[in-house]
Amino acid sequence: MKSPAPWKLWANPIIRRYARARLRPHALGVALILTLMVAGFIFFSTRTVSMYRGGMAVVDAERIPLLPLMALQALILFFLGTGQVAGGITAEADEGVLEYQRLTPLSPLTKVLGYLFGLPIREYAMFACTLPFTAWSLWQGQVPWSAWGPVYLILISSAWLYHLTGLVAGTVVKNRRWAFLVSIAIVFALYTVIPQVAKFGLTTFKYFTIWPVFEENMSHFVPREAGGVFRTVQGMMPEVRFFGLGFSEVVFSLFSQAGLILTFVVMLWRRWRHSESHLLGKVWAVGLMAWTQIMLLGNALPLIAPGLVFPSRELQRRILNVRGWSPSISEAVAMIGLYGMVALLLMLVLTLIITPTVDDQVRGQRRAHKLGWLRPPWFSDEATSFWFVLALATIGAAAWTVFAQALIHSDWYAGQALPAHTPWTFGLVLLATGLSFHALLEGWGGKRVFLAVIFLGIAPLMVGAILGAASDNLLTASMWLIGLSPLAAPIFASQSLLPTMDLPLATARAIPPAFWFWQCVSAVATAALVHTLWRQKKNT
Amino acid sequence: MTAMPIPPAPAPLTAPPSGPPAIEMTDLRVDYGNCVAVDDVSLTVPPGEIFGLVGPNGAGKTSTFRVLATLMKPTYGEVRLAGIDILENPREARRIMGYMPDLAPVPSDLKVWEFLDLFAEAHGLGSAAERRQRIDEGLAEVGLTDKRTVLCKTLSRGQTQRLVLAKTLLHRPKVMILDEPASGMDPLSRRNLRLALRKLAAEGTTVFVSSHILGELAEMCSSLCVMNRGRLLASGPVDEVRRLMGRAERTLTVVVLDRAAEAAAWIARQPGTDAITTHGLRLTFRFSASQEEQAALITGLVQEGLRLSSFEEQKSTFEDILVEVAENNQTA
Repeated sequence: MKSPAPWKLWANPIIRRYARARLRPHALGVALILTLMVAGFIFFSTRTVSMYRGGMAVVDAERIPLLPLMALQALILFFLGTGQVAGGITAEADEGVLEYQRLTPLSPLTKVLGYLFGLPIREYAMFACTLPFTAWSLWQGQVPWSAWGPVYLILISSAWLYHLTGLVAGTVVKNRRWAFLVSIAIVFALYTVIPQVAKFGLTTFKYFTIWPVFEENMSHFVPREAGGVFRTVQGMMPEVRFFGLGFSEVVFSLFSQAGLILTFVVMLWRRWRHSESHLLGKVWAVGLMAWTQIMLLGNALPLIAPGLVFPSRELQRRILNVRGWSPSISEAVAMIGLYGMVALLLMLVLTLIITPTVDDQVRGQRRAHKLGWLRPPWFSDEATSFWFVLALATIGAAAWTVFAQALIHSDWYAGQALPAHTPWTFGLVLLATGLSFHALLEGWGGKRVFLAVIFLGIAPLMVGAILGAASDNLLTASMWLIGLSPLAAPIFASQSLLPTMDLPLATARAIPPAFWFWQCVSAVATAALVHTLWRQKKNT
Repeated sequence: MTAMPIPPAPAPLTAPPSGPPAIEMTDLRVDYGNCVAVDDVSLTVPPGEIFGLVGPNGAGKTSTFRVLATLMKPTYGEVRLAGIDILENPREARRIMGYMPDLAPVPSDLKVWEFLDLFAEAHGLGSAAERRQRIDEGLAEVGLTDKRTVLCKTLSRGQTQRLVLAKTLLHRPKVMILDEPASGMDPLSRRNLRLALRKLAAEGTTVFVSSHILGELAEMCSSLCVMNRGRLLASGPVDEVRRLMGRAERTLTVVVLDRAAEAAAWIARQPGTDAITTHGLRLTFRFSASQEEQAALITGLVQEGLRLSSFEEQKSTFEDILVEVAENNQTA
């Protein structure tokens, strides 16, 4: 008796199980008819109107359906597929059927691939239904394979990435509806919020979407005349720079997505191996933090000298007017603050993943005691994550400093300089937040952390914003209140190190003292929490 | 369901088995925070036994089963199935083990044969034709042949349990772990389950089973273990467990034709008798001595000139034992 190998997808029992359940003629027929109707309507209506009403040449008219068809394909694969994966896996867990799968002698990788390709199998069939229309348009529109090949390659790799996101969401979130909503929200955010963040120097994030590759090849997907304009704009855009290296958009997108896909596969593999496992091991989490920072810096640093990293330059470029442009210091302050905030949030998410619950620690201590060890092994899930949070914060602070220094010490800001204590300031922000978050989580559990996030992280921001909006007289109080939130600390740090004149006077004056005061309070509170945690550990 | 030859209940193995024990737990501990679900339990089950696990709610039965089934990591302890360390080699252990959980669910979107084929493929049970044959055999064994092509969600509770049993038997496991396998089954299905398990045990499969229907369990199993509050109170052959649980005594009932008071006085003087009650000519008392002494007691009554019209012996049931354990829990 030998179970099928992971790479034999056609023999994967989980894929075959979903092929049977989700490709039954009755349900599949309805889905296919609907897809064919929509795709057919898009195809025939757009090309007919272009050809007979617009008087376009055949080659141009045949290209018209390509973009709406691709939007339909993205809707099917990205949204329906991801939702199905997240909802499907939660439903399996809900019904208790997932436990049976744990009991089969299939390897964890076979199970991950089985669910990844099996759950959205009907969506793949619907996607396949649209392909004849696309193929016709590509052929008749004379779109070279070197244009559509990369676009469809990234479409598929992005779909796998989002489906894996859905699978992870479905594994973590126990409620079927929530899992569906969370995964859809992530995909939605990738195409709405993340591109905006990417404009502020965090360019890497846009490679998790199909936009970069699509933009690179867009000229071939529109009528030739419009394509010429796109090609001109395209010619002004540089290739992807990664430190000193140059890549095409498709290669770099695949490279970026592969890192995240691998991380998600590891998360699922760990959960399939042991249902109680943390999503990531401690070393992997530190590695992921380092990898993300390298990717962010690798993309951002080469864009500083030509000015392409600045959002205002991007705006100017879009209106083809970059003459006389130069970035303001406020832009740099915002970019540095945003970088710090992303580093902080990533650190908190990874801390949440690798920190053992109180139950985990009790089990680990008992096991260690039984086996005659002093404590659980360093890298085990039950071991304290203190030193790893320290590493996460240090990596984040180091990368943040590198980004800030590269930006401020560039030719764009001649005469400006960051103070010598910048690395220590950034370190203080991340260490104080990271270690206090960790101490609360490890010592007192998730409920306390939740309350802390609500009352110390979010409420001060909201109340402060309302106060600031109410009256100029309340701006100082508002800044002091907002400064209480660790989430505001990166922006406040940035503003404190590089004071700008663009803010209202009261705000600009209030931020530095508020920042330093709250950082001192935070440092003392963190030291007290860590001390209590270690004393608590010693007593147990 | 198809008729099956009825093999006798397997006798407890007296000679040491040739291979490794079917189940070997050493210092098994399971914690949920500060609650100890399984507390340093060590247990050995020889191959070919039907081994019952009894205990009141919260005794730690399901946690033990889930660890054995590789669904849960224990706090510590070593568990081996047929010599395979399940913590080191869970995949290997899953090849030789079949687990049937309490109130087992089935996927609502699959047909009966598709559900079984999923597991047949996962266990690598040969070609499509071979799998089909094995599925048909499995369905016949549990009497669901006529349900082959219906959707699982249309099955009744009892039929679902039988289907899951068929799934559990599909790869012919060496060790079967059954948590309340008879729940939801009708009396006929239960009887057939008993027969099927005996047949499997006769073929060398080890069955580790828990059930709330204790009479059924005592009748079905060759050995038992009793758990309470995560601890193992007793384990071994059924009569041995009764003795270990302090329930070696039985209740004897004697009906005399006359002189009931005289008979009661005589019985009270005999060693091992206790708690005598008289209802007319009917005398009931507890007796905790050997079978030889019981025979001597009856002979003595006759020799005293007392005329016996009937004699009845009633052994303590496992239900009594568990009720007592549960009551002790409440008192504690």
